[in-house]
Amino acid sequence: MSIETPSDLSPSNEPSGSELARQQEQLETYSYDDDIVRKFATATLVWAAVGTLAGLIVAVLLVMPKALGGLEWLSFGRLRPLHTNAAIFAFAGNAIFAAVYYSTQRLCKCRMWSDTLSRLHFWGWQAIIVAAAITLPLGITQSKEYAELEWPIDLAIAVVWLGFFGGNFLMTLINRRERHMYVALWFYIATIVTVTVLHVFNNLVIPINLAKSYPVYAGVQDAFMQWWYGHNAVAFFLTTPFLGLMYYFLPKAANRPVFSYKLSILHFWSLVFIYIWAGPHHLHYTALPEWASTLGMLFSVMLWMPSWGGMINGLLTLRGAWQKVATDPVLKFFVVGVTFYGMSTFEGPVLSVKSVNGLTHYTDWTIAHVHSGALGWNGMMSFGMLYWLMPRLFQTKLWSTKAASAHFWIATIGILLYIVPIYAAGLMQGLMWRAMDDTGNLVYPDFIETIQKIVPLWWLRVLGGGLFVSGILLMAVNWFMTWLTRPAVYEVPVYSSPRLAAQYEEEAIDSSSDLDSVPVLDAARKLDVWSRMGWHRRWERLPIRFTILATLAVVIASLFEIIPTFLIRSNVPTITTVKPYTPLELAGRDIFVAEGCYNCHSQMIRPFVAETKRYGEYSKPGESIYDHPFQWGSRRIGPDLAREGGKQSSLWHWLHFENPEQVSPGSVMPSYIHLLETEINFERVKDRVWAARSLGAPYDFELDEAPALARKQAEEIAADIVSQGGPVSRSDVMTLNSQAVALIAFLQRVGIDIFATPEPVAAPVAEETPAEETPAAELEAEIASR
Amino acid sequence: MKSNAETNAPQTDKEVVGHVPDDPLTGHAYDGIQEFDNPLPGWWKWMFIGSIAFALPYWAFYHGGAEGRTVHDRYDNAMAANIRLQFEEIGELKEDRETVVKFLYEPSWLRVGQTVFKTNCVSCHGADGGGIVGPNLTDEEYKNVKDIGDILTVLQNGAGGGAMPAWKNRLSTNELVLAASYAASLRGTTPGTAKQPEGRKIAPWPAAPVEEDETPEGDDAESEESGDGTT
Repeated sequence: MSIETPSDLSPSNEPSGSELARQQEQLETYSYDDDIVRKFATATLVWAAVGTLAGLIVAVLLVMPKALGGLEWLSFGRLRPLHTNAAIFAFAGNAIFAAVYYSTQRLCKCRMWSDTLSRLHFWGWQAIIVAAAITLPLGITQSKEYAELEWPIDLAIAVVWLGFFGGNFLMTLINRRERHMYVALWFYIATIVTVTVLHVFNNLVIPINLAKSYPVYAGVQDAFMQWWYGHNAVAFFLTTPFLGLMYYFLPKAANRPVFSYKLSILHFWSLVFIYIWAGPHHLHYTALPEWASTLGMLFSVMLWMPSWGGMINGLLTLRGAWQKVATDPVLKFFVVGVTFYGMSTFEGPVLSVKSVNGLTHYTDWTIAHVHSGALGWNGMMSFGMLYWLMPRLFQTKLWSTKAASAHFWIATIGILLYIVPIYAAGLMQGLMWRAMDDTGNLVYPDFIETIQKIVPLWWLRVLGGGLFVSGILLMAVNWFMTWLTRPAVYEVPVYSSPRLAAQYEEEAIDSSSDLDSVPVLDAARKLDVWSRMGWHRRWERLPIRFTILATLAVVIASLFEIIPTFLIRSNVPTITTVKPYTPLELAGRDIFVAEGCYNCHSQMIRPFVAETKRYGEYSKPGESIYDHPFQWGSRRIGPDLAREGGKQSSLWHWLHFENPEQVSPGSVMPSYIHLLETEINFERVKDRVWAARSLGAPYDFELDEAPALARKQAEEIAADIVSQGGPVSRSDVMTLNSQAVALIAFLQRVGIDIFATPEPVAAPVAEETPAEETPAAELEAEIASR
Repeated sequence: MKSNAETNAPQTDKEVVGHVPDDPLTGHAYDGIQEFDNPLPGWWKWMFIGSIAFALPYWAFYHGGAEGRTVHDRYDNAMAANIRLQFEEIGELKEDRETVVKFLYEPSWLRVGQTVFKTNCVSCHGADGGGIVGPNLTDEEYKNVKDIGDILTVLQNGAGGGAMPAWKNRLSTNELVLAASYAASLRGTTPGTAKQPEGRKIAPWPAAPVEEDETPEGDDAESEESGDGTT
């Protein structure tokens, strides 16, 4: 570890093509920092266990909602984000970093630029994960899927990701001793820049304190940004870095040349450029404008072959090495991983087709799809890499190849046992929701019936998930036992290579074409030469230019969708009767967000007959203009709530929070008894109103009178509850002071504004003018009416 | 442990199991990883081009401006078809006491009311009307109903200061009437669990009207419901 990277290396992105000889190259010596790889690899293993265990726990909570004693910190709505964050950012994240740190140094013949930055990156990232594990169970969340973490943690992520990781990586590229960048590095570059862009622009918020903020976007725009982010988090956190991982470790393990360099180039650029458009396919048939939805679908279909380019390059690299696959567990993991990649990137375009999505959206099908991707592709690729690294990092023999093979089979069977029943559950529930009899009536009008039918399949998932977790534990044993036999002091081999000359003599690129002797257009001849990719070879020598080009590819594609979404007013026609929330409703909405209700309840009714019959009039874009953040949801484990306002009595909600089963037999919803027993802080409501006003809600006197207005509305709702037979107080908490009342206030408001009678002066239907003033009388009348 | 990362030289042959395809190489090597100079697979290339070409006709079909192809147009058509399917036979019902009574004795139409009930009412009144938060609908006692016509009024406007929600904005006229008839039909049935009686005992429902085959008005079944104050 003693050899420092010379810092005076000349940058390599110089114009090339000089005739300068390379004779005066002096040899430089260097070693690789494998200690940082050991750290990240160990963290991968630990978080793999934690992340999948959290998944197992939430799977159990669905079949046994009371399994954890109904503790508020451990409810499904709070733990499910913990599971997804741990699996994506802790498990997959650390796997990516282990891969990047191991392979980049070797592909660049260069130690990481700064050991300090490497370590800041490692410890910073682990601290972020721990912060997530603490804040999410506390209900501190932004409620945007895979972007739940609150703004202070988001800032830390930006610093650690771009500052520590990105900076270190880019400087290493610049200081490299290998002239050309290998395809794995291209994927790492795309990952680093795109994740930064996604993370920053999806997390623009107005904070009111350290633990609470509101996104600057609302409703349709917020949904669009979130799924631009959400989809591309899958693309640039779970796909591109893992393709980089594959491009390094798979040919290494198979000891075969990569199938096609040309395919690498084509599928890299097409993947990076096309992926970024596809986000809106998460919002088919919602209030998102239809043109955006169509773009999302069409680009998803185009994405099929670019994705498969990676699969082909992976699987065909194994030509002539299939005997090895039969004996080497590393290759087994890789083969199944790449196969799952191919399956889920075929399924993705299929699910993005609108009519298919109409059936599968909000169902378990999506859950099965992401798990075939996450467990099958990310999981198996990570495991393969870890088994390949184990003997190399610990400089000893793998403790047990048999145990590694056993892990492979356990994991594979576990995945199948997970996804097959969940595909079936998704299909069943989707079909039940839309089933109509020959007289035009819903066959399954009671939502709970459609849940009860799939609970047995959820049990099978617990079994499959349990197998997958136990496979990881087996790997942990193997890891530990291998570690025990490590040498007392790790050998640190020293290598020597010439530093890159400032000027580069162009590789002799064959500019003659087979078509030279054929009578064709000159353009055809030029195309033939162009298709030999000499132009791209040049880019591979220029890391800064390559980074800029990759950034441009994703940013330009993004702007094509983002700009119209924000600028075209007809995307979100104004509805004059839609008014801002009252102060108490704002507070209730924050509870809805904090409890993670959106994890099981959508607030977005699609324009399908079966859906409007079940839930009511379909959702309009103008209805969510005050929704910071939007709460459209992505899965219906419970019924949609977009028209919940006024559907149940306030007492019903009260009893439902106390114990859902007492009013909804067979419900899998946990009890929210703590909301009945926790007081709300009326004074703090003021901050929420201030934030909402800053974000464009036309409040006036509500700002100063927020606490009083909130208290008044709470008294009225509590009076309703009491008059309907509910309690005046519970565990020393007056009903009117309870958080539950605020949440009920919000729920009773959701989706009712479009039924309101327009103000006499205003035109009855949409006008260009947004509701500018909210007269006091109107607001109070509305409160009083409930 | 020295096998990798020494030079750019390809890994030695002794590790090779099986064979290495003899495709042309690019001459690139990174940490021992080489690349073949294979062309793009033809099927890959053409499917990629095909998937791009698919976009244009698709876009033209759905966004070319032809009528009836937007999501909302298709929904409106499907909804109209559904209403025709459901109610063509009876048209739009009158919202009055007589109609509620009439359908109380028409079991095939009560099924429509039952679907409405199961979708919207079971959370408070129980799957079989035995009552949970809302009153038991199977006994002889009623809280806000003195006469069968009041059931419809209660459905439309709610009752008990919000204890019973108002449904007139959410359900179509026919759905309201048939749900009222269905709710009335629950009287005298035996639920799994029955809530204590609430309210006052009231007179039995009127008998079935004498069949004079008065066809309900019109067949303009499309004219519809669901008040939306939107564009």
